[in-house]
Amino acid sequence: MRFSALLKKELRESLPWMLLAAIILLAIGGFLLRVQAYYGLSSRSYSSLLAGNEVDSYQLIRYSPLKFTGPWLLVTSIGLGLALGVRHFWITLFTKTWAFLIHRSVSRQTILGAKLAAATLALVVSLGAVWIGLYSYAGRLELFTVPPPAGFFIEGWLFIVLGLVVYLGTALTALSTARWYTTKIFGLAFATVVVCMIFLQWRISWAFAVVIIGIVILLSQIIETFLNREF
Amino acid sequence: MTETVLETEGLKKYYGSTLALDHLNLQIPQGCICGFVGRNGAGKTTAIKLMLGLLRPTAGSSRLLGCDSQQLKPAIRQRIGYVTEGHRLFRWMSINELEKFQRAFFPKQWDDKFFADMIEYFGLPRKRKIKHLSNGERAQVSLALALAPNPELLIMDDPTLGLDTAIRRQFLEGMIELIMREGRTVLFSSHILGDVERVSDRIVVIDKGVLRANCSLEEFRAAIKKVVLSFADSTPAEVDIDGLLHCRSSEKELELILVGTADEQIAEWAKSNRAQKHQIAQMNLEDQFIEYTAPPNHRRLFRWEEK
Repeated sequence: MRFSALLKKELRESLPWMLLAAIILLAIGGFLLRVQAYYGLSSRSYSSLLAGNEVDSYQLIRYSPLKFTGPWLLVTSIGLGLALGVRHFWITLFTKTWAFLIHRSVSRQTILGAKLAAATLALVVSLGAVWIGLYSYAGRLELFTVPPPAGFFIEGWLFIVLGLVVYLGTALTALSTARWYTTKIFGLAFATVVVCMIFLQWRISWAFAVVIIGIVILLSQIIETFLNREF
Repeated sequence: MTETVLETEGLKKYYGSTLALDHLNLQIPQGCICGFVGRNGAGKTTAIKLMLGLLRPTAGSSRLLGCDSQQLKPAIRQRIGYVTEGHRLFRWMSINELEKFQRAFFPKQWDDKFFADMIEYFGLPRKRKIKHLSNGERAQVSLALALAPNPELLIMDDPTLGLDTAIRRQFLEGMIELIMREGRTVLFSSHILGDVERVSDRIVVIDKGVLRANCSLEEFRAAIKKVVLSFADSTPAEVDIDGLLHCRSSEKELELILVGTADEQIAEWAKSNRAQKHQIAQMNLEDQFIEYTAPPNHRRLFRWEEK
């Protein structure tokens, strides 16, 4: 009951940002798909690409109808992660409501848990649902002649998880009491490094491994900082 | 024997190199209404936050309801009401939403009727969002939220700051509601000595992080005296009387602020210094507080404090 009250509160605070991110991705992604369907790779041109040629996965992604939507998903996910981090941690600091939030009959772990759960849900629900929607929309526009590799779909989810990395980085920076030019920037800097490292990986499994390691490191730092922080 | 609900022992807090609180030793017995007074920056908020485990002490410890402040379990926090400085609430919530949110943390204790009565008494619109409420209305919501779970101990950090006289009075009356409930303890910090005088039975004075007084209001009121002495020729060159805090002299008049000096001692001193007449002037609590915390001569209120 207490956790659900906290979760509801955090989700309600996240709602405007969730909607904004979902609308941006849906509008831009949908528009790009329609443009592609009109000018670009329709099923016919995709077929001509395939005719008599051996197609490797690079070509498949390069010519994929979702190749323009993918970067937008990444940008929206990072943006949403940043916005949620600011909403959940910075705004609470600026409005000085930490003391009111913390002094209640729940542990600090529960309060932090509700924030993290709300951010995860917000990213999965708003961006995940739109990503699935765009994927099926591309199929309906007959942009696919062959089923795209599963990796392509999963890559979208990797981008969504990256949003969580940025959220955790923002949270850690917000919670840090150090100065900006010292360790306070660590959270955001580390999240940026994780995002950059993703593009250096050749395999999606490696990319996921990097993200998971990043999340574990950031999470352990946040828990330690939050439980011992003065408010 | 009266139980101590709040206790600090050598509580000290540094912010960087600034000493905010120095060696605070405090005991607040159960069932009292304690006014926690001090000037701006005296360390009141720091002390309250340390007591609630929101800050970590540099040294010393504090206990609330028998539990170490740094290890306050949710079950203990449930028994402590807290009104934050500036009445910081979630601005996007309406009063109804805030009530629903707060009630979830006190499933067995929450008194719906009491909350509704208080909101009605203050005349607050339940559907209005916190961000659209005035400072005074936010204070009233804050008080209602803190009182509805019927806490054993209520800690309020400058709850009447920035409120006008009428709202302040309403707020204090709301506070008296809690005081009427048996065995409840209230600690509230304030700049407004009139409020402290109206509702408190105990006073804690803190100055520049140092505890200066912790006694009943009556004792405090009786201890600080202003004496005006008139002389025929000129005032004495040196004033040496027990408990002297401040001394101001004009040509033929001497004004002394004394702490803990008996009336007989004053009369004797006046006689020995050939004063034409002496008069113990009336002081209100505010004047007493200002004199007591005014620099430069910091003296302890009671001799036992110096031991």
